[in-house]
Amino acid sequence: MSQKNKPYFLQSFAIVVLSIAAFVGFKSFLPEKIFTETETVSKNVVVDSLLLDAIEVEKAIKAEDTAAMAEVDTLEESEIVFEEKHGVQFPPETFEQYKGYQHLVALFQKLYELEETGNGNVRIAYFGDSMTDGDMIVQDFRSNLQEKFGGEGVGFVNITSESAASRGSVVHQYSGNWKTQSYLNVKRPDSPFGVNGYVFFTKHDTIKPIWVKYRAGGLRHMNRLNSPTLFYGKSNNTEASVEFIAGKDTLVKKLNPVNKLNTLLVTSANPRSLEADFIKADSIPFYGFNFDNGKGVHVDNFSNRGNSGLPISLFNTGVMRAFNDKLGYDLIVLHYGTNVLNYGSYNYTWYEKRMGIVVNHLRECFPGVDILVISTADKATKYDMEMKTDSAVVPLTLAQKRYAVQTESGFVNLYTLMGGDGSMVKWVDEEMPAMANKDYTHFNYRGAKKVADLIYKQLINGYEKYKTLKKQAEPKVEEETPVKENDSITVLKDSING
Amino acid sequence: MQFTDFVPQISSWQDVLAWFAYNPKEPLLFNSARFLKLFVVFYGIYLLLRNTFRLRIFYVIAFSLYFYQQSSGFYFLLLLFTTSLDYTVSYFLYRETDTFRRKLYVWFSVVVNLSFLAYFKYTNFLIGSYNDLFGGSFDFQDIILPVGISFYTFQSISYTIEIYRKEITPAKSFPDYVFFVSFFPQLVAGPIVRAKDFIPKIYEKLHISREEVNYGLFLIIGGLIKKAVISDYISINFVDRVFDAPNSYTAFENLMATYGYTLQIYCDFSGYSDMAIGIALLLGFELPPNFRTPYKSSSITEFWRRWHISLSTWLKDFLYISVGGNRKGTFAGFLFPSLFFFGLILWGVTYGPDSNLPFILSLGATLLFILTFVLSKNKEKTMYTNSNLMTTMLLGGLWHGASLRFIIWGALHGMALSVHKIFLEFFPSKKNSKTTVGSAIWKVFSVILTFHFVAFCWIFFRAKDFTTALDVINNIGKVTFEPEKWQTIALGYKNVFLLMLIGYVWHFLPEGFTQFMKQAFNKTPLVLKAVILGLAYWLVYATASAGPQPFIYFQF
Repeated sequence: MSQKNKPYFLQSFAIVVLSIAAFVGFKSFLPEKIFTETETVSKNVVVDSLLLDAIEVEKAIKAEDTAAMAEVDTLEESEIVFEEKHGVQFPPETFEQYKGYQHLVALFQKLYELEETGNGNVRIAYFGDSMTDGDMIVQDFRSNLQEKFGGEGVGFVNITSESAASRGSVVHQYSGNWKTQSYLNVKRPDSPFGVNGYVFFTKHDTIKPIWVKYRAGGLRHMNRLNSPTLFYGKSNNTEASVEFIAGKDTLVKKLNPVNKLNTLLVTSANPRSLEADFIKADSIPFYGFNFDNGKGVHVDNFSNRGNSGLPISLFNTGVMRAFNDKLGYDLIVLHYGTNVLNYGSYNYTWYEKRMGIVVNHLRECFPGVDILVISTADKATKYDMEMKTDSAVVPLTLAQKRYAVQTESGFVNLYTLMGGDGSMVKWVDEEMPAMANKDYTHFNYRGAKKVADLIYKQLINGYEKYKTLKKQAEPKVEEETPVKENDSITVLKDSING
Repeated sequence: MQFTDFVPQISSWQDVLAWFAYNPKEPLLFNSARFLKLFVVFYGIYLLLRNTFRLRIFYVIAFSLYFYQQSSGFYFLLLLFTTSLDYTVSYFLYRETDTFRRKLYVWFSVVVNLSFLAYFKYTNFLIGSYNDLFGGSFDFQDIILPVGISFYTFQSISYTIEIYRKEITPAKSFPDYVFFVSFFPQLVAGPIVRAKDFIPKIYEKLHISREEVNYGLFLIIGGLIKKAVISDYISINFVDRVFDAPNSYTAFENLMATYGYTLQIYCDFSGYSDMAIGIALLLGFELPPNFRTPYKSSSITEFWRRWHISLSTWLKDFLYISVGGNRKGTFAGFLFPSLFFFGLILWGVTYGPDSNLPFILSLGATLLFILTFVLSKNKEKTMYTNSNLMTTMLLGGLWHGASLRFIIWGALHGMALSVHKIFLEFFPSKKNSKTTVGSAIWKVFSVILTFHFVAFCWIFFRAKDFTTALDVINNIGKVTFEPEKWQTIALGYKNVFLLMLIGYVWHFLPEGFTQFMKQAFNKTPLVLKAVILGLAYWLVYATASAGPQPFIYFQF
């Protein structure tokens, strides 16, 4: 037998066995991961500068004094008792099951009037991060509410938006010569931020027109641009005007930027499309357009990629009150958390405190408004080759619940609504078709719709309980019997929906 | 992983049962640690049995069935059913002399095989299409696709047809035939092995040479890196995200995701094939090559000679030739292209009120296809050839998955093949001509053009629906030359882009360099080969343990 054809059985087996030995050897001294997560430092990457500052401060405090951490607190053990409001008092809740419907009673009352009489309107500001990018979640939440209580229109829309292309509820385009300042990375804007956390200026451009275009999307209750209204701030510029093309009509209107906040109704018709060309509009702070029919429920989506929620503390009280005078907010939703995970620590006391401050500031800006805190969704990370719920998720939801309780806000535990531990992995890998993306963080349109339904369901569940309690409270004077009947219904509902 | 892991620990009956527990979430992939453990034990015993025949055959069949059971659960019974059916039919077919009955046998076998494939793979597609077209409301069925059914069905069909065509003699016994169909290296993802190539080898005395082992290891190492390092990493950390929501990403990211997917699908598929071929070589069986650096092709025709070769030759021999090849036109050969173009124009018309573009596009595509044979010198023959080719590509597209997207993908390739044919008729390539500067530039241009056409078609292959595909294409259309932006994005996805660069450079390395590497590996001492293989395992492990890269939002 020639050298070439000598059997190689034993050698072949030896190589396979030795390769395993080599692997065990390599594993013991080579690093566990080759692709380390790189920290990207670039001016083009969106990061929440207030969040970064807060984390730095947190690190410094920890280094100085660890003893202060041993604070004893009983919040999580004690029963949460509510005070009566508008004649309604919800039963006490445990921290574990906290939903805080009592703190949404003002909203429920307005919804009730709307449902009973068909008159009035309810406005909701939905603040969020990349989870609500492209109007995801919010568009379905809005649509659900409008279906039940009436209302037409997509609400407040920015001048420019990083996620305009992915938005389906309104087709939104703009020219490249806008200067955008966001509360995410600008602490001292040239003019105060609007309620969307942005302020926009035209860049001086004598050649190219400065424009913005909107076209209604195909969603139910959002297929028209209802009574388009431009919102803008104060400036010394008295020469500015805007040429509007609303549907087939063209009209030129002068801007009068004398107040903190000014509005300009383009037309009281409901065109399908709107184009605005800004002429000599230098130095005027623009905020966006509002599209609503003045009746029913309207939900504004104020999403910012990378937002932790902390930048809301930069809102200027005077300007916000002016916004509130025009738009009249009944509920503010705070849907954050994704960007607060991943910072190495499971102690979120700092976030709890700072978001508490944010809520108090919001109450000052929007007197009498109800607040609903939505917890972070489940997010999965790889542990020992397997995707599992990130260990920071539960501590963060607790911190979010704590600040909700402390600031007397409603609370939705999105993590448990999704299915709790391991649910994100299920949503990505097991659901067919998938409901979330491969980053195990963000929902796709299907998942976003489901999330919106879950949140809507909890809100409506609270509303129905409110109605029951209200009915119980009213006939008290006349009869005794129906009270008990209703009482049992409440309990029944509780067990179904709890 | 410890050495003790390899010693089976049995303390109770439950432990034995646990081995057969089928977990759909963890299929037994070649690049898994579990497969390595199983293989090393299997391989030791296999080599001990090298001088036996029957015992060895049964041993490999048992392992293959176990392997399949671990990937597909009880469907291994289906595999056994298909093989016994085809074996029986072929047994009679081989002994039958009557032409009509022979035809009957072969048709029976093909129809039954394709019916299984159709039921498992296309039921929901047909229900969905029916509902869409005629407004029906049939519910989707809960059907789990048996792993590898597309591959082993084709392999089994080839056996019957080859016997019908008198190209081979049947396997000597049923176990030999089961051995051929169920041979675990190629069972779930190819290459599609032909009966005439494989069955004779079963009867040869088992021999494994140094060359075979070396080449096998070389393929396994390359395959591991392509599949489990490059493909897996870039898909989870970049490509999947962009294709999940293309509009949330910049134009440049959309473009790079398309290049990324083009590399990913090649690395995934060819990497897995290479591992299969490599493992088979370690067992002393030579499987046909499946990929020959396809993106180096300078025409679409060449691409199909280098991409998934075992499938394209199967399709050529059993589909293209069966519907008439380049010799004649048949009903089947005209049916599918006619249906396709009719459907395309109908689709264009439905957009009439909103936009004329789809209609113009569909009419244009149809006219282009007609032109490819009207312009030819031999109109009739070219018409047969092109519509048979189109049939092959349409059905070949559908083989990849039950969706209109795959049909479009196949149609695009079919059109391109026809166009290239007519192009060659007008501008024949000069063979054996000297390389000039002009011809070199033309060659580079052709490679780039072919690559981009293929990459464009992959968009339809990858996107989850047409809207997504059109979004990606639309976004790529918005790419502008802004190197600074590109640099920022590349830095943000440093690992992904680096792997993509490595993948493409590796792909486009001159053939001579690959040969040199192979030679160098051959000369490496045994222990060092083991160390290199161990290092490849580590690369796979260290890639798999990296969590998904966090999201990055760019703002320009």
